[in-house]
Amino acid sequence: MRVAFLVNDLQLSGGVGVVIQHAKRLSTLDGWDVTLVLVRDDEGPSWHGYDHLPHLHVRTRADALSDHYDVAVATWWETTFTLFELSAERHAYFIQNLEDRFYLHDRAERLGAALTLDIPVAFITEASWIADTLAVMRPDAQCYLVRNGIDKEVFSPIERVEPATVGPLRVLVEGSPTVWFKQVPEAIQAAAAMREPHQLTVVCGDRSALGEVAAERVVGPLSHREMAELYGQTDVVLKLSRVEGMFGPPLEGFHRGATCVVTPVTGHEEYVEHGFNGLLTDWDDLQGTARQLDLLARDRRLLHYLRSNALQTARAWPSWDQASQFMAMALTKIAQEPAPSGVAASARLLADLRGAVEIHHGYLVERNNFAYRALRFEERLQHLRESRPVMAVLSLRRFRLVRYLARPFHPWTQRLRRALS
Amino acid sequence: MSDWQERITRETAPAIRAEHELRYRLSAPLVASSAVWADLGCGTGLAARAAVADGKPASTILVDLDEQAVARAAQELEMPEAERLPGDLTDPAQLERIGQALRRVKGARTVTCFEVVEHLSGFDPLLEWMNALAGEGAATCVISVPDDAFWSIENPYHATSWGEGAFAELERLLPPERTLLRQVALAGSALTDWESSPVRHELEVQVGGDAAVATHFIAAFGPRHQELHCSALASQADFLGQRRWERQRESNLALAEKEVQRQREVIATQYEELRSLVRQSEEWRTYIHQLERELGKPLSGVDEGSE
Repeated sequence: MRVAFLVNDLQLSGGVGVVIQHAKRLSTLDGWDVTLVLVRDDEGPSWHGYDHLPHLHVRTRADALSDHYDVAVATWWETTFTLFELSAERHAYFIQNLEDRFYLHDRAERLGAALTLDIPVAFITEASWIADTLAVMRPDAQCYLVRNGIDKEVFSPIERVEPATVGPLRVLVEGSPTVWFKQVPEAIQAAAAMREPHQLTVVCGDRSALGEVAAERVVGPLSHREMAELYGQTDVVLKLSRVEGMFGPPLEGFHRGATCVVTPVTGHEEYVEHGFNGLLTDWDDLQGTARQLDLLARDRRLLHYLRSNALQTARAWPSWDQASQFMAMALTKIAQEPAPSGVAASARLLADLRGAVEIHHGYLVERNNFAYRALRFEERLQHLRESRPVMAVLSLRRFRLVRYLARPFHPWTQRLRRALS
Repeated sequence: MSDWQERITRETAPAIRAEHELRYRLSAPLVASSAVWADLGCGTGLAARAAVADGKPASTILVDLDEQAVARAAQELEMPEAERLPGDLTDPAQLERIGQALRRVKGARTVTCFEVVEHLSGFDPLLEWMNALAGEGAATCVISVPDDAFWSIENPYHATSWGEGAFAELERLLPPERTLLRQVALAGSALTDWESSPVRHELEVQVGGDAAVATHFIAAFGPRHQELHCSALASQADFLGQRRWERQRESNLALAEKEVQRQREVIATQYEELRSLVRQSEEWRTYIHQLERELGKPLSGVDEGSE
């Protein structure tokens, strides 16, 4: 079975990491030939922070165009642009998130990412909520569920949770502070609002973007092994994300004996049970989150109960070896099944495109209305400025005495000028 | 004592035996009306007897990793003529052999595979093979996996972890024509007369609902998947056997812990001895190097330039 996974690059990131975990294991199976195709023209076939994997082929887009595959798999919305350029018996799309949600509503990428869900492919996804959503959005398409595994060698489950009866509550916040939906500054703010003794550790790749924060420690970027060690010194993983796919970090923390306080973000339902192995906090409720952390800091029985159950939950989570067996089965099934109908997908794509055009049209009408109203307002202002009485008043500014007498009104005139500019 | 490979023996706890029996009973109507039945991971055949309660098929294929278990199953099922195919279910060649044996018999075919998938390091060849059989309409397959995730059971013989999530992954890979069932545990009690005279009760049991947590997940796929019907089975608890087995286990555990402790002490002693030997050898090495330096000779055991 010849499989190509299309990736933008081999930069160290959660999404690419998942693809590499699968590709690495599939390439060891008898009769499997797995290639990572780098779709960005300026990307060379070099490894960035991953172990070099000699049995896994890495090809540029240009090189891959001359190859033929049994299944070609897009792994990020931008990689779908190259998907149908590759010669393959079947095309598939490995969806790790509904990626349009990464972009704010006025970004063109939001529409682009959403439309890629309409292409005629079989889907593979890593989270039940995505599979359920796709079942509603694309009832015509096959969708396979392959949950992410956990690297049990790196995030090896600890033998037992040692009760943390004394000392400050050890809270960990991780994520990029520049990515809006990760809500890292908000999480730090919530931890800072705690009343009970606590020790906050922030892990982020880009420390300069974080600025000055109320944390005892700021560390990063960290390797997976360093991260596992840090989780082992943590009581609570605090995540207030707004968008997640499979929501891996709290689960990694579970393996190392940490519980979590998280928003009910997509993906949490795969393993977080409120009051059993973690706590759910509400959206935008930083004070409420701080009180939940205070509760854990005060009630060490509850903390230990949650941490112990978190570890048990982690033990039952599948490894990458198991996850990749499901990936192998899904790819085999896709290869055996007939190719999906382009007609149904095209109908869906055009319907969505039509909807997008209508929304865009609505935006344009709204914007033009605003522009028209602003223009009318500006025209009136211009007339006012050019009217004789106003010009006469303004011409008085040349007298020093007038300027002196007008000085007390300066703040108001400045504000007026700013408002009219 | 129970078989740690999880094969059902006469000493297995009644609740576990009832679980296994119920799964086989579920497939009994299919088996009875089939021309050929293959039981993959047949074990000792004790639980599988329930599968032939409604009648035996013309032909039977028994498969297990352990050759002796297969022989015992043939004996237990009173099917000396059953085809015995001991072998590894992760091996595509073995699956091919079973497939050939099945196809040799004309008529309806049933394959049962209970509590096997979780023991396989690679389950994809088996499931793909069963999918293909069912997809072609060549056989109806009935499989089960345990819900280990609920209790976070770490069974040393389970190579993969199964639960609601893993079964949801599997479900999407099965043919669309399928029947899915949850197996739930029962708890209960009964009264007997003072002499404990054997008596048979017809029980009415309410199952399902929000509180129902599956102990196992069952999937049937293939041409006759709809012929499975839900049922329940309760059996009297064997407290005598259970007490004997549990006390035996506790006793064995205490012995094993003592043995581990003793081995740890031996390792600690040997480690100290080794350290002392290493120290001595270091002293000798230093002394020899000193002599070699005095004689102007190259240092033994040291690469040139690394001194």
